[in-house]
Amino acid sequence: MIDNNHEYIVITGESDIILARKTMREVCGKLGFSLTDVTRIVTATSELARNICLYAGTGVMRWCYLERGTAVGIELTFEDHGPGIADIQQVMQEGYSTSNGLGLGLPGSRRLMDELEIRSRVGEGTIVVVKKWRR
Amino acid sequence: MAGDNISVIKILDVLLVTIPPDPDDELVKVLQDKVLQGMARHQVKGVVLDISACQTVDSFFARVITETAQMVVLMGGRTVIAGMQPSVAITATQLGLRLGSAGTALNVEHALEKLDAGFSRERTT
Repeated sequence: MIDNNHEYIVITGESDIILARKTMREVCGKLGFSLTDVTRIVTATSELARNICLYAGTGVMRWCYLERGTAVGIELTFEDHGPGIADIQQVMQEGYSTSNGLGLGLPGSRRLMDELEIRSRVGEGTIVVVKKWRR
Repeated sequence: MAGDNISVIKILDVLLVTIPPDPDDELVKVLQDKVLQGMARHQVKGVVLDISACQTVDSFFARVITETAQMVVLMGGRTVIAGMQPSVAITATQLGLRLGSAGTALNVEHALEKLDAGFSRERTT
């Protein structure tokens, strides 16, 4: 994985969710993802960026391009220094929400993307990494 | 200003609400109010939400739509969501979205048919 072409958006409020969505639509469109895959990635971006706003207030979204042989993909990282998640299995369950939401953000994003990984420590923050490969 | 690019017009005896391509949170919140106020003001029997231009439907947007449809029911009306793009339908299903009491239609024309839209029957003779 090439790490030197990381780009990022700082997320501090709802307007940054829209910026993150617009940017991903553009980036993934240029990478040659299909319209449906672009929609999947943009929707997952919306869910994960909103989680940052809801639970941590501020955070950052980074992305970089992936290459494996002839395969091309994108990796997005959502990092915050919010309260963290005590029970990751619980938040991956559909319908679980501590913010009166639908509880679809994390489990839904996992279905929309090819890979989803969460690392979190209570009191320190949360990192969610998602990947999507171009078909 | 938020809400400026949501168009809410009365057509026949229903309310036609057009959602822009990339609705932000502010706009989505304004939507609910505009729809319910419009319903009361124009005395319509239903609401058509035209989302044919909409490229992203996330869980926040879906929740507001579902809630709005429920409120429209309380006011005695029905809501039909019209024109969801194929890519949005695929994504919404995988995400796990449900639209509650809202009906769906392929386009605005079918939505009007579904609501049995006609000229307001104000005279009862």
